[in-house]
Amino acid sequence: MSLPAPDLRPYLEELECFADGQLSAAEQEAFEARLETDADLYQAYQLYEQLTADLRWVAGHETLYQRLLALDQRLDQREVALTRVRRRQRRTQRRWAVGVVAAAVALLALWLVWRPTIPNAADNWIRYYVPEAGLSSAVMRESQRPLLAEAMRQYHEGHYDPALYTLRRISSNTIGQDTLTYYNGIFLLSQNEPEAIQAAQPFLRRVAMQADSRLAGQARYHLGMAYWRNQQITAARNTLRAVANDARNPYQDAARQVLRSGLIKE
Amino acid sequence: MSTPQQLAEVLTSLRVGNQSYLVRFYEQNRALFARWARRQHQLEPGAAHELLRTVVVEFYDQVADGRLTKLPPDVRAYVYGLADERVRATSTDGLPVSESGRRQRLLALFRTLGLDCQKMLMYFYFRGYNFEKMAGKMGFANSNVARMQKSTCLRKLYELQRPAEAVA
Repeated sequence: MSLPAPDLRPYLEELECFADGQLSAAEQEAFEARLETDADLYQAYQLYEQLTADLRWVAGHETLYQRLLALDQRLDQREVALTRVRRRQRRTQRRWAVGVVAAAVALLALWLVWRPTIPNAADNWIRYYVPEAGLSSAVMRESQRPLLAEAMRQYHEGHYDPALYTLRRISSNTIGQDTLTYYNGIFLLSQNEPEAIQAAQPFLRRVAMQADSRLAGQARYHLGMAYWRNQQITAARNTLRAVANDARNPYQDAARQVLRSGLIKE
Repeated sequence: MSTPQQLAEVLTSLRVGNQSYLVRFYEQNRALFARWARRQHQLEPGAAHELLRTVVVEFYDQVADGRLTKLPPDVRAYVYGLADERVRATSTDGLPVSESGRRQRLLALFRTLGLDCQKMLMYFYFRGYNFEKMAGKMGFANSNVARMQKSTCLRKLYELQRPAEAVA
């Protein structure tokens, strides 16, 4: 069984003064002399030394603990602040994104409402092309050519394939070659399909080049229009200009109208 | 990883009370440790930070006590090991039981003192401030006041310790 620890309190003040270097030289000498003779004081001194050694340990431990605690709080605050800043940035970005999308949608809607109506090639064709009127029934009666009459009837009714078939059955002895060639071209052009339009061009070109044919001017107009329909712009412009400058050509006005529209551009 | 010479320098500076190495260590490893503690022990960040604080202080105590005479080559791995042990509740102090118990009891009593007393005792017994500097830090009129205040705080701590010691 160990002895109870001595009470430090009666000695505490002088022990502290001694340990903290607060005694004068004479006082210190006297205290050291007493330490050697007074067993209670010596025991109290030992206890005091142990207490202060433990206290140094505690103070070091606690200092570090509190420094880390303070650092922890600082880091937590920084993290919270950073999170807040990031959240604010995200919110701003989201708001901007919503704004940009809304503006884009609005612009798109406006464009859809106000967009200029761009007529397509088919519309332009219907608007500017003046179709061949065909031979009149009076001429047909006069000429007594039933196949020609049949072909013209089919043409007027819009049956271009049968009309072409019928036309090709007509012998060149009963009708002028330039007329047959011209209507071949017209019937093909009337089919309004790229291949047919392409196929129409040699027939119309052939007639247009026959200066002595009364159908040459008309053929030139339809040839120019066939070029345009096939996007052969330079050829179309040159051909239609020739028509527009020809006062005797029945399609002069039609050709001028197309040229004025500005649709025939490179 | 540090060289043996660097480790020896760190050990020396810790022994003379320069704790900057451990404060920096804590700052650099806090987030990493919290992730490790969540994965290994399912600890929330707050609890992980507290655990790291505790083991860093424990590490410091080991150096200050002289239980660690050589710094481990990988301090981080060593600290993680301490944390692991602590979580598994198999931690042993390593000091003689009586000394360890006495210091822990004193630490607990120290924490019951007022904040000013704690601060003064830390300034004097750990940082080694003289009474004049302490007076300046604490806002006392002069060094004499500081000396008397420190004395009062030490007496308070001793008086708290006496009944506790009698029970022990």
